Amino acid sequence: MAIIEAADLRKVFRRIVRRPGIGGAVRALFSREYEDKIAVDGVNFTLAEGELVGYLGPNGAGKSTTIKILTGILVPTSGSVRVAGIVPYQRRQENAENIGVVFGQRSQLYWDLPLRESFELLRAIYDVPRNRYLENLAHFSAILDLERFLDTPVRQLSLGERMRGDFAAAMLHDPKIVYLDEPTIGLDVVAKEAIREFITRVNRERGTTVILTTHDLADVERLTPRVILIDEGRVIFDGALQRLRTEYGTHRTLVVTFAEAPTNIDVPGTEIESREGLVVRLRFDRRKLSAEAIIRRVMERYPISDVSIIEPDIDTIVRRIYVEGYQHGAVGAPS
Amino acid sequence: MTGAVEPRRRPRFRLEPYVEFARTAMAREATYRFDVFTTIGSFVVRVYLLRMVWTALYAHNAAPHELSRRAIITYSAVALLMGIVMDIDQTRALKDKLHDGSIATDFLKPIIVPFYFFADGTGEVLFHAVLLIPATLIALLIFHIIVPGPGVLAAFALSFLLGYLVGFFLNFILNCSAFWTLEISAVQLIVTWLTDLFGGELIPLILFPAFLQNFIYALPFAAMFSTPLLIYVGVIPPSRYFEVMGLQLVWIVGLAIVSTLMWRAGSRRIVVQGG
Repeated sequence: MAIIEAADLRKVFRRIVRRPGIGGAVRALFSREYEDKIAVDGVNFTLAEGELVGYLGPNGAGKSTTIKILTGILVPTSGSVRVAGIVPYQRRQENAENIGVVFGQRSQLYWDLPLRESFELLRAIYDVPRNRYLENLAHFSAILDLERFLDTPVRQLSLGERMRGDFAAAMLHDPKIVYLDEPTIGLDVVAKEAIREFITRVNRERGTTVILTTHDLADVERLTPRVILIDEGRVIFDGALQRLRTEYGTHRTLVVTFAEAPTNIDVPGTEIESREGLVVRLRFDRRKLSAEAIIRRVMERYPISDVSIIEPDIDTIVRRIYVEGYQHGAVGAPS
Repeated sequence: MTGAVEPRRRPRFRLEPYVEFARTAMAREATYRFDVFTTIGSFVVRVYLLRMVWTALYAHNAAPHELSRRAIITYSAVALLMGIVMDIDQTRALKDKLHDGSIATDFLKPIIVPFYFFADGTGEVLFHAVLLIPATLIALLIFHIIVPGPGVLAAFALSFLLGYLVGFFLNFILNCSAFWTLEISAVQLIVTWLTDLFGGELIPLILFPAFLQNFIYALPFAAMFSTPLLIYVGVIPPSRYFEVMGLQLVWIVGLAIVSTLMWRAGSRRIVVQGG
């Protein structure tokens, strides 16, 4: 059953154009010029209950705008959206009861008060039954190791501790859906791992639907079987991470260490990615050439001392899509 | 917008979250203990200074005939007592949250957002109201202020409450202007001056020249301080209570309407423009 449906979602922001200098400021007093910025441009997707989806895109792609529309704090310019059967911006408060949100860059906890006080306040806001609240608190404390700093004022917590507190805070009322906006930003490896473990368990054990936006592709590899890629306000890919890898991870890299500096490198079917002294990285399409064939070609032409092959990682794949744009069936594929 | 508009079903209203907001605000204020000493300390110093000023003026026969020397010192002391809670900008969190964008997190919660600011501000004010106890004792024991009969005291308390609400909405309106402009401290400063001068906190308004008085009563500031204070010192007789408190109520209703309109327009700006 679809828990989130977004169809032809568009959001256009109208901004005042500011001209530079005093002259511009004076002119702005009398006549204002506006420019339209299209943040989200016809986004479509559907999420089934219990899915864990990575929502990815470069800065300014429209990720946050989409999330804001889904949470009900932004009204779309056109298009329709339903979250658990509710149009979020029409019934913001009701929608709020169904969702939990974590912003990596913005805490929802009370700065001056111990973590426990923020939790108590959230219990009152969401009207969580006392038993359920204590059960959840005990459960989250165990997974996230909160016990040590439950009574410490939030201002004295480290970023990792604060984030763990924020995660527990977002989940105390058993939301059906959680939106995680760059939740691992700035965290050390240990904290990241704790958070990832928490997300996995919440999704698996409670069936919570999770939308995760991140720039850390390790999060995606660890957590989300499905990814939605967005760029310039449009969905450019929606599917299994595995499919993205096969469609886009078409190029492998052969790292060759030459025995002596070659004057010019020319291996048919490859292009030079980089060259540092004797180490040269050659990129090739694995559908056209096997690694064995490439190595043979290199060895026929040059004396070499070492070779290794690098498989494309998700980072490279996504970077390539951001730079080159997505075309169905992958760039460089024989048409 | 495509799609049929759904009926706006309001979720069941519960008071509990707002009580908790107020309680949390009190707990937060309690973490700044230093404030307690500075508040009491500056109260004592200011009453002492004002007593010196009034005593000197009365010694030179510049006394207004409506108020005795003791009555005017009482007036000043009670005004400063009121100031302990009235001078708090209890909704400044709104301005701060608009500046740093964290207002978005409040809209993510199933709460009526302006009620949150009201509850939070009231919690803060209630905490400071506790300071009224030692401050009042000092005013009674050291400055020997006049204590009127229970009827007048009750009328004063009610008028004080109405004055507080006038001040609340005035602050809320000022903080709401941060929806449109980021810099509001200059306007706030001007309003603070106007309140000091035309609210009657420092100088009883009856000492002002007649032409100025008409002007002053056309502003909401007198409803904040002057009305309850003049009730306390007996310049406003019981026969006029209905009239003066009615006027306070008119100000509250008017300012509440302006507040609501500003909040609606401002929050619409957020949901349409993204802040």
